[in-house]
Amino acid sequence: MADAAEQVLAPDARRGARTDARSASDTSVVRRAAGETVIELSDVRVEARERVLLDGVDLAVRRGEVLTLIGPSGAGKSTLLKVMNRMVELESPPLRVTGSVRLGGCLDGRLDGRSIYEPGVDADDLRRSIGILFQQPVLFPASIRDNVLFGALHHERLSRPARRERLEKALREAALWDEVHHRLDEPAANLSVGQQQRLCLARALAVEPGILLMDEPTSALDRSAAAAIEALIGRLAEERAVVVVTHDLDQARRIADRIACVCVEDGRGHVGEVVRRGDPFFDRLCRDTVIATSRDERPRPARSDESEEQTG
Amino acid sequence: MRRAADRLFRVATGACAVAACAVLVGIVGTILWKGLPALDWDLLTAAAGETFGTGGLAYQILGTLLLVATAFAVATPLAVGLALAQASYFVRRSARERVRLLVQTLNGVPSVVLGILGFVVLVRYFAWGKSWLAGGLVLGVMIAPTMTVALAERVEALPRRYLDAARGLGLTRGQTVRSVVLPQTRSGLVSGALLGLARAAGETAPLLFTAAVFSGATIPGGIRESPVLALPYHVFVLAQDTADAAARAHLWAAAFVLLAIVLGLALAALPLRLRSSEEARHG
Repeated sequence: MADAAEQVLAPDARRGARTDARSASDTSVVRRAAGETVIELSDVRVEARERVLLDGVDLAVRRGEVLTLIGPSGAGKSTLLKVMNRMVELESPPLRVTGSVRLGGCLDGRLDGRSIYEPGVDADDLRRSIGILFQQPVLFPASIRDNVLFGALHHERLSRPARRERLEKALREAALWDEVHHRLDEPAANLSVGQQQRLCLARALAVEPGILLMDEPTSALDRSAAAAIEALIGRLAEERAVVVVTHDLDQARRIADRIACVCVEDGRGHVGEVVRRGDPFFDRLCRDTVIATSRDERPRPARSDESEEQTG
Repeated sequence: MRRAADRLFRVATGACAVAACAVLVGIVGTILWKGLPALDWDLLTAAAGETFGTGGLAYQILGTLLLVATAFAVATPLAVGLALAQASYFVRRSARERVRLLVQTLNGVPSVVLGILGFVVLVRYFAWGKSWLAGGLVLGVMIAPTMTVALAERVEALPRRYLDAARGLGLTRGQTVRSVVLPQTRSGLVSGALLGLARAAGETAPLLFTAAVFSGATIPGGIRESPVLALPYHVFVLAQDTADAAARAHLWAAAFVLLAIVLGLALAALPLRLRSSEEARHG
């Protein structure tokens, strides 16, 4: 599994899973050491009726890292994210996935070596161990407490103290405890949009997933709320793998350990390039607004005057 | 020109609304005007008298409530099952369309036909005789499509993001339906139930064949040969003999009570409907 992961990572990345300090512009978060591969996609193809949405996708995600997926609109970033927890099957009509998506070290190792799309794999069980955070916060019409424990109480029988403990742990992890601990029984809808998104994060964390998928988690938030989520992402990846879809290249540069470009070629999306933090190409990629549309074509660095305009 | 057309449209729709309200106010006003003078405590609490159109309406009211409650108990699981099959469980469009067609067809079946069916199957074949349960079952089947349509509309209108959020947490389809879909579509079920129950409370034809008698019944003690008195049937019979002034007064009083029951049902469900729509808006 690790070999396959290395193959995906292109020559620059094969040097190993280094721990790098952030580039000079980002010193707030110390990089983590990437662990074993927890998701490995090999030659994945996604079809909607006759149309191929993604083709030939090879990608590996490791524990302890933040992998961001960037690319133009409609390239299939969100679809790729949903391939990882089989949410593509919930589309109407369901999308068809071929190839293999293997998990490592999740679900007590029950799926080790098996593709999650194999018959007999319980998709609901799988989604329990792979949390997902959507673009817009989705709250159930209930209290803050009930929202956080919503998923956990469907999976486990928790005693009252265990519930309290789980609630606090999830809210602390989502950096929301201090703001809401005195009003846990208030309607969740009373929170600000940024708090709501962190509440959704807490709800996902309360189920204790080993992998966290985030689909443009800050696109509906203002700058300060987005910064709060970004700050959390790095911390969350210390214990699990985090995959983030983003349109914001600056954000990708700030939070990612690796960046994968989802590109479009002949109307089909594919993963064109995966670059690691520390690679000279990493910062160039993030400054470049032109995302390659060809598998063989690396994004060209923008001219200095362009890059000023684009990043500023 | 465009403004003139706008104004014309506004006037036309306003006139339609006023006409509809006027009809309703006319009916309610007439019933109030003619029914209120005959209404007193004894009429509501006493049993029917020995002679035609005398005595109280207590057993008619009890019988109507029993039939309506039975119809609700029968229709609710049917409606929930059909609505979820149509709007949530069936993935294939063709299967959904088939259920939708079935519901629409069932909605269009005249109540008298359902009454005859109830008579043939329940009264004769199962040999229940006239029974409150037979009447409740027929009324339940009759109002189930109305409830189904209202609930299915709410389920289909439920934002997809709620379902995705629940499934993304690893909830099964059944858990999602129980924890997300049904609680958030309660208002649809209540609206449908109200419409259906109001219709059931006023139906005479199915009861004529399956459950109601004009006199001689009290509180049913079993299922077989356990008819009930019912307000709509009472009104129906009295309306055929309006020459008698006492019977006429009794008739209007019974109509008033029937109207009050329907209105009471609507008012009882109002807080729940308001809360549900509030939650849906802020959810």
